[in-house]
Amino acid sequence: MRINRDKCVGCGRCVSYCPVGAIQFFQDEQNPKKKKSKIDEDECVECGVCFRANVCKPQAIYLPEIMWPRVVRRAFSDPMVEHKETGVPGRGTEELKTNEITGRFKRGSWGMAVELGRPGVGARLKELELIAMALAEKGVVFEPQNPVTHLFEDVKTGKLKPEVRNEKVLSAIIEFVVRPEQLEPVLQVLKEMAGKVESVFSVDLITHPEEEEKGPALKIVKKMGFPVYPNGKVNLGLGRVLNK
Amino acid sequence: MTHSLHRTGDTESLKKDFPMLTHVARGYNDIGAGERLKQMAQIARKYTDLHFGDCKVGNKFMMPPEEIMEKHTVGWQVVFKNKKSLIACMKELKEKNIGISVVVSGLFDEVFECCQKAGITPPLIEFALGVHGNKDKIWPPEILDFVTMCGHGLVSGHLVRKMVEDIKKKKITIKKASIELAKPCLCGIFNPDRAAKLLKKMTRF
Repeated sequence: MRINRDKCVGCGRCVSYCPVGAIQFFQDEQNPKKKKSKIDEDECVECGVCFRANVCKPQAIYLPEIMWPRVVRRAFSDPMVEHKETGVPGRGTEELKTNEITGRFKRGSWGMAVELGRPGVGARLKELELIAMALAEKGVVFEPQNPVTHLFEDVKTGKLKPEVRNEKVLSAIIEFVVRPEQLEPVLQVLKEMAGKVESVFSVDLITHPEEEEKGPALKIVKKMGFPVYPNGKVNLGLGRVLNK
Repeated sequence: MTHSLHRTGDTESLKKDFPMLTHVARGYNDIGAGERLKQMAQIARKYTDLHFGDCKVGNKFMMPPEEIMEKHTVGWQVVFKNKKSLIACMKELKEKNIGISVVVSGLFDEVFECCQKAGITPPLIEFALGVHGNKDKIWPPEILDFVTMCGHGLVSGHLVRKMVEDIKKKKITIKKASIELAKPCLCGIFNPDRAAKLLKKMTRF
């Protein structure tokens, strides 16, 4: 995102809309009595919130044409942009949402997601790489339909394409399936990574309802010291195959 | 993935907060899904008008809901503030059997109770296992409760603080502030009713 300096009237209304605080309100060098808004391009994640907020009367905020690798920022931060590899807008996949049809998560294994930058912080992709490489060492196989997987230079090691490593996004998700014997080592890796990343990450676990509370997955999770929120997502199972 | 997961807040507040989303399965029921999604959205909107959106199109604060419904391709989202309307909606969606997947988020005990009353047996669930890493960077809990209502992270903590300040200065009403906070949430799972209650709590002198 950019702000046209000549059009900006210095009202500052856009500043608070930026989720990552990338809009600066500074004293205009050309007219020290006035202030102007400016976007810190290195911090901007190209989410489009400031533009869509429609608070800039002179329409000084605009969406510039952006090229690779910066375009990655918009693809992961602006849900209106659909990833061409997955056909899903936003950062993830259909995951549990359509599982009653796709059968992606089968009994005897559990789905997992690690979401970098959430909640409300944002992250550089090099931090995602740090976690992905550590997970790959534990034999984790990354979900092929997840847009992050398309950014790996080597999908087996979790190494990213070098040019995207410093790109900042609102959040990006590593998705994978774990076998029961993998869950504990994977959670151990995540505990270790918690002390190494500059940003934050949220962790998800997908299971079948009978696993709840008494199931082995949650027992391992609790043993490893991870919290389990009392709220979460429930697939109602109302989907069916309709394409002919 | 996960955008309706990880909502924070106290139990009483979360008891009045149930995002619902629909999603097509690519290769299985995506052909001609627009009309089916529209039928399902019309059902859901009979039971809740708090928020509504389709992140590929926009939300009800950006354009009329009828316009959004004409453009569905992948799915839509709404949010409920009570179990009664959620159960009624679940029942009708089950009866109409339109065939697109539906997910409801919320306190598990509450959602399971609604499922049971609607005659639904959920096949899969997703747990949130907390936030990890440099937690000094996250917003304090009273701000996080707003920020996490938009799973894509589009609702700024700075805007929450600005709204609180503006309410205290009587520049904006609580209702208008709650809608201003709901606007950036493109998909429509931010709950303005819950936001208004939280704002009221934060601005009580």
